[in-house]
Amino acid sequence: MVLDISRAADMRGIAATADGLRIGALVTHSELVRSPLVREFAPVLAEAARTIGAVQTRNLGTLGGNLATGVPSMDSGPALLALEARVTVAGPRGTRTLALGDFFVGPRRTALATDELLVDVVVPAASLGKPASFLKFGLRKGQALALVNVAAAVRVDPDRRAFVAPRIALGAVAPTVIRAPQAEAFLEGRPPTSEAMAEAGRIAATEARPISDFRASADYRRELVSVLARRALAAACARAQGAQ
Amino acid sequence: MSALRITVNGREHVLSAPPETTLLALLREHLGLTGAKLGCDVGDCGACTVLVDGQAVNACLMLAAQADGRSVLTIEGLATPDGLHPLQEAFERHAALQCGFCGPGAILSAKALLDANPAPTGAEIRDALAGNLCRCTGYTKMITAVHAAAQALRGAGAEMPPLGLTASPSIPLPGGEKGGGLS
Repeated sequence: MVLDISRAADMRGIAATADGLRIGALVTHSELVRSPLVREFAPVLAEAARTIGAVQTRNLGTLGGNLATGVPSMDSGPALLALEARVTVAGPRGTRTLALGDFFVGPRRTALATDELLVDVVVPAASLGKPASFLKFGLRKGQALALVNVAAAVRVDPDRRAFVAPRIALGAVAPTVIRAPQAEAFLEGRPPTSEAMAEAGRIAATEARPISDFRASADYRRELVSVLARRALAAACARAQGAQ
Repeated sequence: MSALRITVNGREHVLSAPPETTLLALLREHLGLTGAKLGCDVGDCGACTVLVDGQAVNACLMLAAQADGRSVLTIEGLATPDGLHPLQEAFERHAALQCGFCGPGAILSAKALLDANPAPTGAEIRDALAGNLCRCTGYTKMITAVHAAAQALRGAGAEMPPLGLTASPSIPLPGGEKGGGLS
């Protein structure tokens, strides 16, 4: 049996709420790219959505669908993980809220029970407007799966000239999309220098657990993590300092 | 069976089809509209691209039931009795197609782009066509043709936007410019 949920109105729409930015699971990637709310409060999610598939895919494919695949190379996962998003799941036993990191269980496996639906994603108020960047490395520009993708979100304290709450998320280099907590801890409170960001990239590469497959070797993917994490941090940092 | 009411190329159809019928199968097998092609059948090649409520989609990935109540445009609905659409004319003039298998999809992707963005850059055209794979002509002539059609649709004499890196200048054709007189 096929049950089409694409017109379930309460799973659509993007709204600014007291909790943060609520994005219905049925919002398409094209809608994310165009949404004024996303572009203002969580532009990194629009950056990631823009790299998914081609126009045709983005017009039909949804944020909830992308997350619920549990595929480690998904593009919306790292952007949302860097923003510490939460997801709402509903089923016959009621509704529950999970950190997105707990939603991903393994390759193509999520915390969804067979009778549950992913209903929405909430980017928490504390992360709205947090300077961030998403980078993806594929084998070509159009319709490419990520060999590695990285999102970084940082705040920079202008008085102490220090990183505050740096967040780094990695895709396609572990059984699920993951954070790089050791690299984050290294940066916390440190001055935003290019040396510190390069070292954080190297640490993130040691936290990745990539596999070798027909697209790339594990060593190549680790090297990509190091470079992309450094560049994503630098781009997020430049945005943080540009905003001050 | 799913009961469907779908507008295709301006004409409303009331149909019933098994629930697993894709929009592509409905168009090709139930309505005899074979312009949209069955290529990869997994949403990679774009040969089945049609517009649903103005948006380009892969008809192989959409169930017919999901198009219930919506308006579908296929390549058969693009030309009028008076002539080809400017995009079709430009694809012909610039030799943007060889075998033509990808053509209906590529032209409809380009139409969705130009409807939303009448003066796209080369990069925007490449992004709009990224989901339409061509295995014979290549993409350069398609990009040139979309630029030319955009110019024709904006009205003759409009400034041509700078070409993107992979776009080649259009080759003048015998008979001079014929951009005017198109709807």
